[in-house]
Amino acid sequence: MKEISQLNLPDDVRYAEEHEWARPEGEKVRVGIDDYAQDQLGDIVFVELPQVGDTFEKDEEFGTVESVKAVSELYMPIGGEILAVNTALEEFPELLNSDPYDDGWMIDVIPNNPDDWDALMTKDAYIEALKGGK
Amino acid sequence: MHEEIRNTPLHDWHLSHGANMAVFGGYDMPLWYPSGAKKEHLTVLTNAGIFDTSHMAVIMVTGTDAFELLQLCFTKDLNACVGKKKAPLKPGKCVYGAYLNENGELIDDAIVSQIEHNIYMIVVNAGMGGDVARHMTYYAGLRDVEIIDLTDKIGKIDIQGPMAAGILMNILKEPEEVFDEMFYFTFKGHFDSRSTLAGTVKLTDGTPLLLSRTGYTGEFGFEIFVNPDHLIGTWEMLLAAGKKFDLIPCGLAARDSLRAGALLPLSHQDIGPWPFINHRWLFTLPYNDDGTGFTKKFIGDEALHNIEESEHTCAFVGYDLRKVSTHDPAAYVLDAAGNEIGTVLTCVSDMAIGRHGDRIYSISSPDKPEGFNPKGLCCGFVKVKPKLLSGQIVELKDNRRKIKVMIVDDIRPDRTARRPIKEMLKI
Repeated sequence: MKEISQLNLPDDVRYAEEHEWARPEGEKVRVGIDDYAQDQLGDIVFVELPQVGDTFEKDEEFGTVESVKAVSELYMPIGGEILAVNTALEEFPELLNSDPYDDGWMIDVIPNNPDDWDALMTKDAYIEALKGGK
Repeated sequence: MHEEIRNTPLHDWHLSHGANMAVFGGYDMPLWYPSGAKKEHLTVLTNAGIFDTSHMAVIMVTGTDAFELLQLCFTKDLNACVGKKKAPLKPGKCVYGAYLNENGELIDDAIVSQIEHNIYMIVVNAGMGGDVARHMTYYAGLRDVEIIDLTDKIGKIDIQGPMAAGILMNILKEPEEVFDEMFYFTFKGHFDSRSTLAGTVKLTDGTPLLLSRTGYTGEFGFEIFVNPDHLIGTWEMLLAAGKKFDLIPCGLAARDSLRAGALLPLSHQDIGPWPFINHRWLFTLPYNDDGTGFTKKFIGDEALHNIEESEHTCAFVGYDLRKVSTHDPAAYVLDAAGNEIGTVLTCVSDMAIGRHGDRIYSISSPDKPEGFNPKGLCCGFVKVKPKLLSGQIVELKDNRRKIKVMIVDDIRPDRTARRPIKEMLKI
């Protein structure tokens, strides 16, 4: 398991308490799970994502990831409508382990509340949260 | 008060090799290494893996009444437990069974090995050495028997997979002699250099081993018992010798998924504090030929006799690798009408199996279809009120999904555990 200092935590995304990341890309926000989450889960063997057009509130469950032993929920870091899902994860769920911030992205969301973004953690705040065991 | 978390002698090795650690049975143990639980699982089927299992507890029972005490406390009839002919246990043989309380409920499962006349080695689960030793001591009464918990005085490594014997060939002194007539559930040697048996199995550097053809993966392999001082050296010798066979260290996650697919129960999960009956492992009870009674008296036997109704434990396999979560809240079993009929005990993904047509194949199936590349299937055990029959379809439900699964007699096909050593050395 990686030490906090070994984690790949990019500056250009924000982080949720449940270890999802969010990156603004024009009108939409791209979402995935971060390096901490993939490291904790181990080999990810299945990903269940929502349908394009589904709408979720912040913190609502939008899918699941499965490792060999466990099933874990995915929670929306921001509320909004699903604009796109990364269908490559159906065939290659291991992308979440190998490239969680780029090829392993999960969903694109059209946000419905700007306050959701402000509530997410910066990299520094997230590191502090991890140090605190949150 | 927090219980102290223990480490095995390999703990620093695990940390320095990037293992993902977690506390299991009171020990900080590797869940998986950087290669990942999936690769570890598959490698045990195709090549070999080594597991640090030093957290397992070992009890030595000696004395003129040791046999009598085991007959009283252990479910297997040691007079009728070896092979199809049910021969008596004898030195060099091992047997799998369980310890029950007076209510017929599980304390722990165990492998009993007869070391010599009046000397037995009992391997139970991590953290259970004290409980099982106390249980036997309670029933020992005035019998001439000594019960010693050796848990921290023995190191243990499992090497499992089709290449296991080939790897050991390179680091054992006189391997041909060691492997001669070393059948499934037999052992040779001793970890204690003072034992007369210690000379029979040694590594090339002189380290004495107790080498047992047993394991917990369903695959061909061995359990190795050594003095803890020799544990790291033995581990590194195995890894060096195994390099050309792609041997890798494996953690508890792979061990768990492998054992579920091999229909082996996890103590306190698949078998536990409920009547030890109506399950997949009835061979651990000393039934007579017509199944109307037991061939001996043992702790818990009357309770099992008198149970009028008890739940049934059945194995299942799914149609893809999706699982239900057996944690809080529990996952339930639904019959065809949608009625709750029980709970899910274990649900994991066996990554080595897949469906093709109406059959399940494993990556080690000799007749697997061309290009067979399974994604894995979920599998495990349920505990249900009605008896379910093989082939019956039920649904498993947790707080997020329902999945359809089939009740089965077996899960991962073409397991290698029982294959002769000679055959495995030709691979």
